[in-house]
Amino acid sequence: MSRPRDNRSALVTVTAEAVVAPARWHAPGPGTAGGGPALLPGGGGVAVGVHMGDEVGRWLGDHLMPGACVEDRADGQPGPGSVHLLACLGNRVRSASGDLLGVVAGKRGGLAPGFLPPSLLAVEAPDERLSHIGPGDRVMVETTGRGLQLTDHPGVCLSNVSPVLLDLLPVQARGSRLAVAVTAWLPPWAAGSGVGQDAWIGDLDIADEEALAGQSLRYGDLVAFQDFDSSAGRFRRPGYVSVGLVCHGPGRGDGHGPGACILMSGPATELTAVPGPASLGPQLAELAARPSPPQRVPKERNA
Amino acid sequence: MSRPVATEPPTNAARLVRTRLAGVVSPASANAVVSPAGRAEVLPGQGGVLTSVQLGDAATGWCSDHLEVGASVQHPEPAADQALQVLACVGNQAVVLDGPAALARGMVAGKHSGLMIAFPPSALALIGPGDRVVVEAFGAGLQLTGEDQVVLHSCDPALLGWLLDGTEPGGRLRVRIAAQFSREAAGAGLGMPASRFNLDLDPALARDPATGAAADLRLGDVVAVVDQDHRRGRRFRSGWLAVGVLCHGRSAAGGHGVGMATLLTAPAGRLSLAGDATANLRSFWLAAAT
Repeated sequence: MSRPRDNRSALVTVTAEAVVAPARWHAPGPGTAGGGPALLPGGGGVAVGVHMGDEVGRWLGDHLMPGACVEDRADGQPGPGSVHLLACLGNRVRSASGDLLGVVAGKRGGLAPGFLPPSLLAVEAPDERLSHIGPGDRVMVETTGRGLQLTDHPGVCLSNVSPVLLDLLPVQARGSRLAVAVTAWLPPWAAGSGVGQDAWIGDLDIADEEALAGQSLRYGDLVAFQDFDSSAGRFRRPGYVSVGLVCHGPGRGDGHGPGACILMSGPATELTAVPGPASLGPQLAELAARPSPPQRVPKERNA
Repeated sequence: MSRPVATEPPTNAARLVRTRLAGVVSPASANAVVSPAGRAEVLPGQGGVLTSVQLGDAATGWCSDHLEVGASVQHPEPAADQALQVLACVGNQAVVLDGPAALARGMVAGKHSGLMIAFPPSALALIGPGDRVVVEAFGAGLQLTGEDQVVLHSCDPALLGWLLDGTEPGGRLRVRIAAQFSREAAGAGLGMPASRFNLDLDPALARDPATGAAADLRLGDVVAVVDQDHRRGRRFRSGWLAVGVLCHGRSAAGGHGVGMATLLTAPAGRLSLAGDATANLRSFWLAAAT
């Protein structure tokens, strides 16, 4: 048993601009059969005090993500642009001053083609930094991870995984098969909003409370969708498994629920999800809280 | 135009308001899609005017992506478009206002991002994007008397009468369907409001309710999906059924499929699904036109 080899030495890092998204009220959603739509925060803005590792049910929110929501710069509400598409979980995010703000810890959006917004990235960061930013602020995302592949597992498709996150993932190579630990194992019909959309856009909602059997989820938990492929679109495909990281809290409308950003998928012959406590929440929070490395701006030489 | 009344279920239809809503035939789309096997294709997509495939024709097998029956209609102003998409009901009458097909009559046949309106081939041959269409919207708010758990969406009252086939001795409503989909069939459209858009269904998981064999799906088929609750947003819920009409063709992309516009949802115990190969919107349309 060993950690899998990968092609990270071939990856490039591209700094992409994003802006902190305003808090938005998305009305009217489908609501629920049990009552009218609830007016709760969660669409954009900065959620000070909400962090990776928290129980998603702790907060009264609707699709609430930890930390700051950032998005592509655009007039009006943007669809998924370059920063949404290139960003991977674990990517560093700098504030306008150049200091480390935090790390990308989730994605939200991708209800269906043609109905893409919101297209948000969650930035996990310590509260003292979150308290100093607000909607409209520029941030820089050091995007890297797109193209990442596991050298000896060509059938496993990685999406939204940076090399830093890959090193945190509880994966083990068992011969030609890759085993990943997950906290929850979901049937394909538990997948709700987000089916039919590309894996690198937004997330996939867990829309069946019964599938969780009373289990509470935390931001950062790894979950597996059984008989589900996410290599080209997110869709039911017998014999495949998709693994995601819980990044937004319950959605209050029917067909919505806690959302997972898809990290990997593949045929069960090459990828297997094994039960176990598997949460990257604390590690992502710790990664985000690291002090900013000293700036290395070269002094201009005298001519 | 007289309306077929196979049965006359008691409803609140007498209290419903008729509203004339305007829309514009939308431009055609070219969809870039990637199949699960990784093959990228550009195919004719939603919108525009579909002249080669009619209501009652095969729902699958075409070189297309989300092909829509008839002419696709939207309104350029978002709030007016929302009203058009929510208030118009399957089975409502429509008429072309201008262009060479002016005064041609059609019928609302489904919902996607736009409203699908079936017209006779002679009219479709002349309709083009930009032409204005009026829909006589009727049916929003429709409720079966004494059936609190049966929720209707986008259903013209006359269509409801045609859809229902009386009541079983135990009180269950008989619904005629051409095909039934298993719970695993539901794809894109989950989480979206049931009064708009549609639910994509994997055509490989459709069964003929009479024989259990793979169903031969046709555009306009009345179909049911097991374990779907469409009272508000479309969602999985054990023990519920959703019934609707197939209004768009399949897609090469995973998680997409033939589209079912929702008409009715109820606990499974309230309905009795009866296999009927003629349960296709084309039959209703032809009966309504005579």
